[in-house]
Amino acid sequence: MAQPILSKAEAELYDRQIRLWGIESQEKLRAANILLIGVQGLGSEIAKNILLCGINSLTILDDATVTEEKITKNFLLDRNSIGKNMAQSVLLKAQSLNPLVKIVVDTNNISVKQKEYFDSFTMIVATDLKSEDILKLDNICREKKIKFICGNVYGMFGYSILDLQEHEFLEEKVSLPPKKRTHEGKPLAQSLEKIITKVQRKIVYPNLKQVLVPTVPVSPKKTLKRRNILYYLVLVLNEFRDAVGRYPLYTERKEDLKKLKELKDSVAKRFELNSEKFNDNLLNVIFGEIPPICSILGGIIAQEVIKAVSCKEVPVHNLFLLDPYTFSGSEELICH
Amino acid sequence: MMGSSTVPSVLSTKVKEMIPSAKVLVVGAGGIGCEILKNLALSGFSDIEIIDLDTIDVSNLNRQFLFRKEHVGKSKAEVARESILNFNPSLKIKAYHDSITTQQYGVNFFKRFKVVLNALDNRAARNHVNRMCLAADVPLIESGTSGYSGQVEIIKKGITQCYECQPKPPQRTFPGCTIRNTPSEPVHCIVWAKHLFNQLFGEADAENDVSPDTADPEAAADAGNAALEKQAQEDGNIQRVSTRQWAQDCDYEPAKLFNKFFQDDITYLLSMENLWKSRKPPKPLSWSEAASHEGDVNEEDNVTATDMKVWSINRCARVFSETVANLKAELKGNKFLVWDKDDQDAMDFVTACANIRAHIFSIPQKSRFDIKSIAGNIIPAIATANSIIAGIVVLYAFRVLAEEYDQCKAIYLRQKTSGFKGILVPDNHLVKANPKCYVCSEQPSVNVFVDVNGMTVKEFETEILKKSLNMVAPDALLEGKMVMVISSEEGETESNDNKKLSELGIMDGSVLKVDDFLQNYELTVIVNQYKAENKEDPPYKIVADPNDLKAKAEENQNGKEKDSNNKMETDDSNDDVELIENNGVVDDPQEGTSSKRRKLNLPDDDDDDLIMLD
Repeated sequence: MAQPILSKAEAELYDRQIRLWGIESQEKLRAANILLIGVQGLGSEIAKNILLCGINSLTILDDATVTEEKITKNFLLDRNSIGKNMAQSVLLKAQSLNPLVKIVVDTNNISVKQKEYFDSFTMIVATDLKSEDILKLDNICREKKIKFICGNVYGMFGYSILDLQEHEFLEEKVSLPPKKRTHEGKPLAQSLEKIITKVQRKIVYPNLKQVLVPTVPVSPKKTLKRRNILYYLVLVLNEFRDAVGRYPLYTERKEDLKKLKELKDSVAKRFELNSEKFNDNLLNVIFGEIPPICSILGGIIAQEVIKAVSCKEVPVHNLFLLDPYTFSGSEELICH
Repeated sequence: MMGSSTVPSVLSTKVKEMIPSAKVLVVGAGGIGCEILKNLALSGFSDIEIIDLDTIDVSNLNRQFLFRKEHVGKSKAEVARESILNFNPSLKIKAYHDSITTQQYGVNFFKRFKVVLNALDNRAARNHVNRMCLAADVPLIESGTSGYSGQVEIIKKGITQCYECQPKPPQRTFPGCTIRNTPSEPVHCIVWAKHLFNQLFGEADAENDVSPDTADPEAAADAGNAALEKQAQEDGNIQRVSTRQWAQDCDYEPAKLFNKFFQDDITYLLSMENLWKSRKPPKPLSWSEAASHEGDVNEEDNVTATDMKVWSINRCARVFSETVANLKAELKGNKFLVWDKDDQDAMDFVTACANIRAHIFSIPQKSRFDIKSIAGNIIPAIATANSIIAGIVVLYAFRVLAEEYDQCKAIYLRQKTSGFKGILVPDNHLVKANPKCYVCSEQPSVNVFVDVNGMTVKEFETEILKKSLNMVAPDALLEGKMVMVISSEEGETESNDNKKLSELGIMDGSVLKVDDFLQNYELTVIVNQYKAENKEDPPYKIVADPNDLKAKAEENQNGKEKDSNNKMETDDSNDDVELIENNGVVDDPQEGTSSKRRKLNLPDDDDDDLIMLD
């Protein structure tokens, strides 16, 4: 960092967000070094949001090659990028989003990275990875006390999983002063000065193995029943990705649906799920990467990064699940 | 070239076919607008029009990602168009650097679109687009964010409620005597300081007086002050010469100005003894006393010291003197100055004056940063919330094309709190129209409570019909007598302007037929005689259903504030003291960009230049 104190130019640029999360949070963001793995549709949304908020550096790692299909789903690419490396191709437009952030491009695959590679990062954000890579990364993050979040978009469905290990943060509770009344009980004009109370809190996260490779059936049946059914969809989709090596494709719809149904039935059996609740219809809407869903998940994941880095506000503990039909988005605790 | 291949594959065939040719209007190219445009372009929408009257400001760049530093000062709509075309040159995008409320965007303009997407930052423009979409029978997707929160709702004539079906909380205003005589909160001092700016340098406005108000009903009971009362003018202002004239006469000498506003006027207030029986009396402060106060220990010139720390009284006095000199120089050659939170002298002046007054009244002082938030009515805004809300907007656009309105329940984005799992929370059902809505019901009517003997026709037109009922160019006819009270045609009814309503035969129970041609909106206005009695009373009231008035009064008695169509009671914060906006509902979501601004007690301004359209 060039200067320890926020410059006047930065204060002007970030004014509207400093008014929300305060100057201390902005200073913490300004010192953060983030690694983003995967810069497809979802990744580019995450990159946009965390670049805009003003971190110190963003490393974008992606070894994929830009295809015609990819440019239509990614606003950081254009036609000139076809055939080139993904991470390399997004650099120009990513940098123009915020010239104050240092951007590093890495065209390698995550699997070739040594442990030391991760030392300098404050937080790692991963999209589009196999379970095996995610679990390996999570272990490294736990060892090095690096905060970790991963997420994916499957058609109309999207989710994120957070591992902040032992996370301490400040929660601000905003309230209005109690209403004053006269002796007759008539309300007096209320003061509108907000009262802000800061509470220091701590959340302990389970590791990602407990989420992605759950042992069955350890949790009592009652917990299983109350669980958001979309969690099991995460398991099905992850198993599909691990087995087939890619996302379900609309062009391979028939084949992929068959495979998905098999996996779904096996998950349903393992967890004794009600087939009415966990039905096949869910599988029809999970094809492709839908841009507005990326926009939502990109916002959610970036917001979790901001909260985690600044140690302020209540983070999601530990899954965020977006309902593909109602677009209701809620937190789910998975901890076995 | 790219065409339909970008349309999401999982959508129904019908929607997939419709998307590339569906004509879409985006109103506002601010925070949400930029995100919506990106989502539309990536989803295969290829015929987009975008309208925004604003220009780009540095403080937009942390979220309005289609703009860069070199675009500052340029039209938002036009730069947004270029940025999107830069991504995909095959799209058809038309940009208008204009206000949506002007005459050329009439019902026929709106009828050309399959769906209208609002990304606005103010209620007046939202109300207007709501009416235009109702009149043109085009579905509207309304959205807004404020900090971490946001919301999206669908408005479709005959199927859902409209934007104006539920009465919105009124803009916050303060009684004049609280500002002039008995401030008790920092905001009172800040409003006063802005009024002082206007009195000294701004456009003349008698409503924004800063001197002691002897017409204060509380002080009037003061028996010992009969002599002073007599001195005072009828309207309660102790001065015969205007503040501006007086300031000019003494050549804006800082010491003289300071002594008048912070010593003499305060001494005068102290003489209104009744005011201080149950309040802590203010302490007058002279120029020489202020100068003898201790200065700031470490007066560095950096953001933290200048903006984040509370200035000493000594520093306030110095800034007062410097800014008065600068503003006086700036006033030369101008008729008046317009207060702008981004003008350094204007903002410094208000910071200094508000804090000196706060000090006098033993009210906590605030930093320049905090005072700017309040004085500029700045709503914090972040990229993430806009990204999420704009995602929902475009998902709903898909459903609107399929006419699946029942699948478009209002959705609220909430800040994550402990004990509550919901982050994106949809309503349980689609909210039906309010049968008594004074905008979208079959025969809209509204009760207006005014003093027919005190209010002029011009005031009725400006305050009631335009500002409160949001009409653009109303015509008003007094029913029964067939008297043309107000005409939107120039020269037809100007002679009525300064007449009191009663002089035209308008009295309690009179019915006015009001018509706004542009909005294709006819409204029956029932006049009720009403006179404000207490100083806390509003000068006038507007109610769709008079029974609502009673219900409101009861609700206030219970001290509970509830939004009828928000189901946030599940929150763990069920007690009275929690802030409503914390429950995920945004009263008047600001993000997006403005198409119209109104002159209010606290300006309806967010992050941009102040543009008056009056």
